[in-house]
Amino acid sequence: MELRGQGFLIQVVCWVFSLFQVTYKWLSYTLGVHVNQAKQMLYDYVERKRKENSGAQLHVTYLVAGNLLQNGHVCHKVAVVREDKLEAVKSKLATLASVHVYSIQKALLKDSSPLYNTDYDIVKSNLQHCSKQMQICCAPAGPRPPPEAPRAPPQSTQGPREPGATGTANGHGPAAARAPPQQHRGIAGMFAARAAAKGQDTPRESKAEAREAPGVSAASSKPPTKNSIMNNFFGKAALNKLKANSVPEQPKEEKEVVKPSVAVAEPESSPNSVAEKPGKKAESAGIQQEDKKSKTKRADRSDDEEERDPENVKKKRKRIKQLQSDSSDDEDVPPSPTPEEERAPSPAPAPAPKAELEPASAEVSAAGRKRKRKRVLKSKMFIDEEEGCMVTEKVYESESCTDSEDEFCKPKAPAPHKQPLLPTKREPKEERKNLKKGAAPANRANKQVSIMGFFQKK
Amino acid sequence: MTQLLPQHRGNACRLASCGMLLGPIWPTHVCSAPCLEEKQEASQHSPALLAGLGNDIVLRKLSELQAGERCCVVGTLFKSMQLQPSILQEISEEHNLVPQPPLPKYIQPSDELMLEDELQRIKLEGAIDVQRLVTGTIMAVYGCEQDDGRFLVEDHCFAGLPPALPWNGPSSDRFVLLASGLGLGSVSGEALLSTQLLVDVVTGQLGAEGEQSCAAHITRVILAGNLLSQNTQSRDTINKAKYLTKKMQAASVEAVKMLDEILLQLCTSVPVDVMPGEFDPTNYTLPQQPLHRCMLPLASAYATLRLVTNPYQASLDGVRFLGTSGQNISDIFKYSSMDDYLEILEWTLLAGHISPTAPDTLGCYPFYKSDPFILTECPHVYFCGNAPHFQSKLLQGKEGQRVLLVTVPDFSATQTACLVNLRDLTCQPITFSGFGADSEDGDMEVGH
Repeated sequence: MELRGQGFLIQVVCWVFSLFQVTYKWLSYTLGVHVNQAKQMLYDYVERKRKENSGAQLHVTYLVAGNLLQNGHVCHKVAVVREDKLEAVKSKLATLASVHVYSIQKALLKDSSPLYNTDYDIVKSNLQHCSKQMQICCAPAGPRPPPEAPRAPPQSTQGPREPGATGTANGHGPAAARAPPQQHRGIAGMFAARAAAKGQDTPRESKAEAREAPGVSAASSKPPTKNSIMNNFFGKAALNKLKANSVPEQPKEEKEVVKPSVAVAEPESSPNSVAEKPGKKAESAGIQQEDKKSKTKRADRSDDEEERDPENVKKKRKRIKQLQSDSSDDEDVPPSPTPEEERAPSPAPAPAPKAELEPASAEVSAAGRKRKRKRVLKSKMFIDEEEGCMVTEKVYESESCTDSEDEFCKPKAPAPHKQPLLPTKREPKEERKNLKKGAAPANRANKQVSIMGFFQKK
Repeated sequence: MTQLLPQHRGNACRLASCGMLLGPIWPTHVCSAPCLEEKQEASQHSPALLAGLGNDIVLRKLSELQAGERCCVVGTLFKSMQLQPSILQEISEEHNLVPQPPLPKYIQPSDELMLEDELQRIKLEGAIDVQRLVTGTIMAVYGCEQDDGRFLVEDHCFAGLPPALPWNGPSSDRFVLLASGLGLGSVSGEALLSTQLLVDVVTGQLGAEGEQSCAAHITRVILAGNLLSQNTQSRDTINKAKYLTKKMQAASVEAVKMLDEILLQLCTSVPVDVMPGEFDPTNYTLPQQPLHRCMLPLASAYATLRLVTNPYQASLDGVRFLGTSGQNISDIFKYSSMDDYLEILEWTLLAGHISPTAPDTLGCYPFYKSDPFILTECPHVYFCGNAPHFQSKLLQGKEGQRVLLVTVPDFSATQTACLVNLRDLTCQPITFSGFGADSEDGDMEVGH
């Protein structure tokens, strides 16, 4: 019998995962069955177990709902009760509306909070599909932007229905609810793809994972020193940009990467999946982290990513250009690799978030991230031959964390630029110094992020 | 001694309702020209009406009062209370006062009532319950002025129930669930299971088919304020040094995330109207603006989520709902001797103003042209949130008004929500409970 087979299924599930308890909701989500069916399955299981009289002691909690007379008016009461209190509670109710199994656990529960925790976890991991297995379907309830159906009162279930059969509402429910989750995937595809690790989503997930493999590998080639959380975000951001902007680029990348990564995909997908297990935890934390991250990043990850991406990329470009123009015209920070990449004609969105991250990283107080290159305000002193004096100037230069390789190319740039401007340079220089001084304290205030700042090479 | 007869009462009510256009206690010279004209028109009509009734009741302004003459005066009440917290006193250096701790009630026997109209004010005494009334009420008093300058009141009346709205209610059973005070983000987890049970019942997961089919008739859920708990309001971080609070997150952030998840579950199956309350992240003064949808990213993707203001008025299936998150009622509770939230709710309806104590003791936007809190039509369901317990009453008016008054209890404390049946304007509380460490047998009272 189907139900018997499902009874075995429950047992296997319990045994395999050594669960402390199984609630009807958990069962419904895990097995993908309707809630009423899950309740019936639990009930049958309890009956069978009790009949078998096996050694394992089962404790059952029930849900009781009914009317009772309180303070002169009829009060509806819905309560989760332990088995031993069931009869007492039932007798106190004037009319009984429903009794069904709420959960089964191995040990006696003193408190109802474990029930809540189980349900909370399972609901949280299935937030997008919580309407799938519900009894009531609501026609206008669909996520935007699908066009809104005209308002209709929710369809009530017509009369009693056997627990196992799928009635019209059930048929509508999953069908109607399946359409929204699919559309949702477009909007918040990453959440759904990662979050729903269960049955229905494996085909989609493998696709998303395959896409992420090139995404992650492409991203990982660029900044090698990012840690795993950044990788997650970056992987997603790269996935975003890849999906959104560079559709021509993606097949290119995929083609390039597919060949090596077909071989790499297998081993990579397993570290990926391994990395995804902590990644999942970090991912729900990551989702929260994303919310916590600075507004510049959040502006990237808005709902209408596809629309806003080109704008954002443009905005990022503008910002960096302004930074450059701030730091004087002459010492025009020589085209460091970052803006060069940025100005590259092809969209190349991956460098864009990186470039945006770097100046932004100066502001974001992340805990001790290693940066490959950073722009440091330094005072440079050199002897001005013509006037026979020593000039000390504050210059922005790119400096790497480990050791400064770029330091020496900078003085060459300011020095030749100095000569032509000598006659008129006093005031502009002072102005620039003032500007720099204005920028320097602000910069310094932002820069004292980690204690390693004290141990920099001076 | 002539008393205010019912007919006169009616006229006085109409006059009082004109007077209400002046608003609660704003300096009356600010009131705009149209209001004054309307009042003058009414006062022109009234002597004729009153004369026709054969009784000699004269309507006077305070400036026209003559000592010993019986007349009727319309104006705004002001109650001067000694215990009323005053910010000026607190910061005054002369008094060197310690700031007063918040009291449950600020009334004292020594409080005095004053009636103000456009130009003057006069102290009231006599057949008037000083403790019960609050500042900002518009009323008409009948009596005469004494020699010492006080007005001896013989009778008084309020504006009365506003005119009724036509009834267009549904013919079949449709329910609206009213809940308030979810109190997310609080330390105690007891109410969390009850909240989850509430969501499960509304979405149709809990209960057998009968229960689920009843739940399918719920056409709207209204969350009347205080979705976040008071614990999320801690302002300690303001006093701490920045380096200590750098990595800290406000408690309300986590609570709003929880709220988002709960709303997502609800929105997938029923339209939800979310009103902000006292502890919610929105502005403090009435009318409170809706919560911003950026705080609820998951749930705002659904068109069934409606973020609305506090106070909130809507027509659901032809039934007019009007309600607040309870700040108005609890403020009146503090400054009046009335103890019952339902009684206060009814009184505000009779006085014709949702929140007479605003802006005196309750923060309110300084409206000067028109006061949106004046009740111009009688709603069918009038509710207030965050009451200590559930109460409901069907009020019948003389002109055929039918109002269901509901005090929605605080869910985090009582685990009770209300189901209003739109067909016949009845209300039923619905309680959710889990089981705790101690047995719950004592809680259930059974009345037969």
